[in-house]
Amino acid sequence: MMMVDPLILTLFLPLFGAIAAFVLPRAAAWVGLLAVLGTGVAVAALARAVLAEGEVVTQLGGWAPPLGIALRADGLSVAMLAMTAGVGLLVSIGALDALRDLRERQYFWPLWLLLLTGMNGVYLGTDIFNLYVMIEVIALAAVGLTVLSGTKQAVRAGLEYMYASILGALLFLMGVGFVYLQAGRLDFAGLIAVEPSGAMSAALALMVVGLLLKTALFPLHFWLPAAHANATAPASALLSGLVVKAALYIFLRLTTYMPLPDEILVTLIGTLGAGAVLWGGVQALRAERLKLLVAWSTVVQIGLIFIAFARAGQVGLSESWKAAALLILAHGVAKSAMFLAAGRIKDEIGHDRIADLDKSDTRPTLAQFTFALAAISIIGLPPSLGFIGKWTLMEGAMAAGYWHWVAVTMIGTLMSVAYFSRVFAGFLRFDRMRGELAEHKGWALADAAPLTLAIAAISLGLMAAPILSFIELGYPFGAQQ
Amino acid sequence: MTDAATLFDLLLAGSVIALAIASLTVRDMFAAIVLFVIFGLLSALAWVRLSAPDVALAEAAIGTGVTGALLLKTLHHLRYVTGKLGEGQARDLTPIATVPAGVIWANAAFCGMITLGLALAFLGAPQAGPGFDSLVAEAMPASGVDHPVTAVLLNFRAYDTLMEVVVLLAAVIAVWQIERGLSDAPAPALGEVWQGFARLTLPAIVVVGTYLLWKGSEAPGGAFQGGAVLAAVGLLLLLSRIYVPRPAHRGLARWAFVLGTGAFAGVALLVSGGGRVAFEYPAQHAYSLILLIEGLVTISIAVTLAALFHGREPVAAPAPEGRNDT
Repeated sequence: MMMVDPLILTLFLPLFGAIAAFVLPRAAAWVGLLAVLGTGVAVAALARAVLAEGEVVTQLGGWAPPLGIALRADGLSVAMLAMTAGVGLLVSIGALDALRDLRERQYFWPLWLLLLTGMNGVYLGTDIFNLYVMIEVIALAAVGLTVLSGTKQAVRAGLEYMYASILGALLFLMGVGFVYLQAGRLDFAGLIAVEPSGAMSAALALMVVGLLLKTALFPLHFWLPAAHANATAPASALLSGLVVKAALYIFLRLTTYMPLPDEILVTLIGTLGAGAVLWGGVQALRAERLKLLVAWSTVVQIGLIFIAFARAGQVGLSESWKAAALLILAHGVAKSAMFLAAGRIKDEIGHDRIADLDKSDTRPTLAQFTFALAAISIIGLPPSLGFIGKWTLMEGAMAAGYWHWVAVTMIGTLMSVAYFSRVFAGFLRFDRMRGELAEHKGWALADAAPLTLAIAAISLGLMAAPILSFIELGYPFGAQQ
Repeated sequence: MTDAATLFDLLLAGSVIALAIASLTVRDMFAAIVLFVIFGLLSALAWVRLSAPDVALAEAAIGTGVTGALLLKTLHHLRYVTGKLGEGQARDLTPIATVPAGVIWANAAFCGMITLGLALAFLGAPQAGPGFDSLVAEAMPASGVDHPVTAVLLNFRAYDTLMEVVVLLAAVIAVWQIERGLSDAPAPALGEVWQGFARLTLPAIVVVGTYLLWKGSEAPGGAFQGGAVLAAVGLLLLLSRIYVPRPAHRGLARWAFVLGTGAFAGVALLVSGGGRVAFEYPAQHAYSLILLIEGLVTISIAVTLAALFHGREPVAAPAPEGRNDT
């Protein structure tokens, strides 16, 4: 057979991997790992092609849009694909060791590979109906992963997540229907040409609210903390690091082709982001469990990404999306490291009550170190990628004279230092513990994955310039001009 | 002025809304489900009136038939676990915290405002609405089939359809995964009429389902509708305990779930090469390939829907529940 299009492989490798992992439950782990690895290679091939040509387009079935569906890769989509593949591969390696229960080991792989198929489909999609189908694939696979641990809390949280997720998808679909009635087409390129009208604004509003529900922007975040905190660690890492980014990415793309009609809406989005930063910060300060704290920090970070989007108002959008994209990438890498590390700490100590962390005589030092490294990127200390993202955000806001966004970001940063300090204090205090420290249990394969991710989150900050120039390839947001 | 058709439409629209309200407000759960099923059937009729027979078939088979069966099964299970199996009324099975009337009215007001806004925006905008009609008509000769809906679903936008089949696969994997050894509610006692009914209907269902699938290339019908009808066979077999899923059948079931997705994706990938991209069927084989995909997808859909009705992976039962093995 001749050389197959890497675009197609990026979608079909995880799909066939999921099928193989499901019908061969005994070999699921190795099949799954191989499929994720293969997907990574396909993404790398795609990245080469995008570097050479700027954008890569395939019209499926040979039918041109708007009748057919085209897949398109440019700098931003390849960056998202690469983040997904990289984080996914490391989480997979961690999952080899972290999942102990036979049932979890069998079912993790097909669900995760279907999730990967859906996310890759979102990053390559150019058709809003197709994006709806993709977010449904993501939703069902993600709900399956949420309840993987099988605890009562997880099932309850999973059910709530499913309701929220389906409601979000249905709102999006209703918006798609409005667009089709008005424009008679569903492809991105066709959306630019449509005259703005009340119905198109209503369509955009429906789609945006649906996406905000799926990405959990305050005050539509209600489902997230319980769902992400009660899943098993590898699932939490995937849900928090990757899944919420798919809806965020669609939001970024959609607002390029269907610009928000008024400055007020940009401000509103930023204000909701500010609400997320403050409310999520307060809840993280109050959280009693480590994984819940990490989940609330996701709410905060999602808010921050929307502040980055709104940092310089409507005129600044052509630059602001880059700050948002940087923060998306930084959070994906750091948060998955943090959830995996939190899972390791919980496994070793036996609980994740923050107040009792310093009473434990076992100290999983490597996982604690990893947690701290990930926190450096999430708080936004140099030289991490999180720092570059926050700095880009504030630089743009200052240049535009919007000092209120700078203030909210600074307050959010201080709060994140405060709530992560609660955890660090538990790691570093030894005086509340009676007796000797227990023997160090040694390293595990499950420690290697989060450590690599956390180091990547920090060192990618040194590569911020090439990343920034890469995501501009193919001018994804040049459509506005 | 008001000819018979308009009168019928008005009556239909009124009944659909009234049934929706009734099924939401009635307290008895069994009544709510029955009302929902009637609501679904009338909606299917409404789709027919809107000249969308494909949607009507899907609504009747999946939205009403399979969904109604799933709801009734859930109700049966709820009655079983709450120990209210023998009681005629099925209210108050799940503890529902009472919502203050103020909250309900506030929600209703907000939802009403949003609906009104959407309606105004919709009515006020120019209804361009050319849609894909002309494009589809132009491309039909190259599609390999004669029914435009099938051409869109299996050829022009086959990628969407593949992913919809993937959604179903994800659903059944998630459902199998959730199974945590809950004891199965005993099957309801079936009277003597049942045997004769099953004997008469089973062959008919098989014929109707296959016909829907076969007909899909030139008239309304196709894999989803045919699969849903064939799933009814599985439902009857499961209900009557003629077939009892056992752990040993899991391997076969897994293959049946993935058959449609695998074949669809496999064909899409294998036709590429030699200048063609994925999903680009060679013109002379388009009809056979589409029929092959639809046939295998139908099998997968039928088995998957029946498995969703069964609702669990058949693991080795720890409790003495396997008494009905025949």
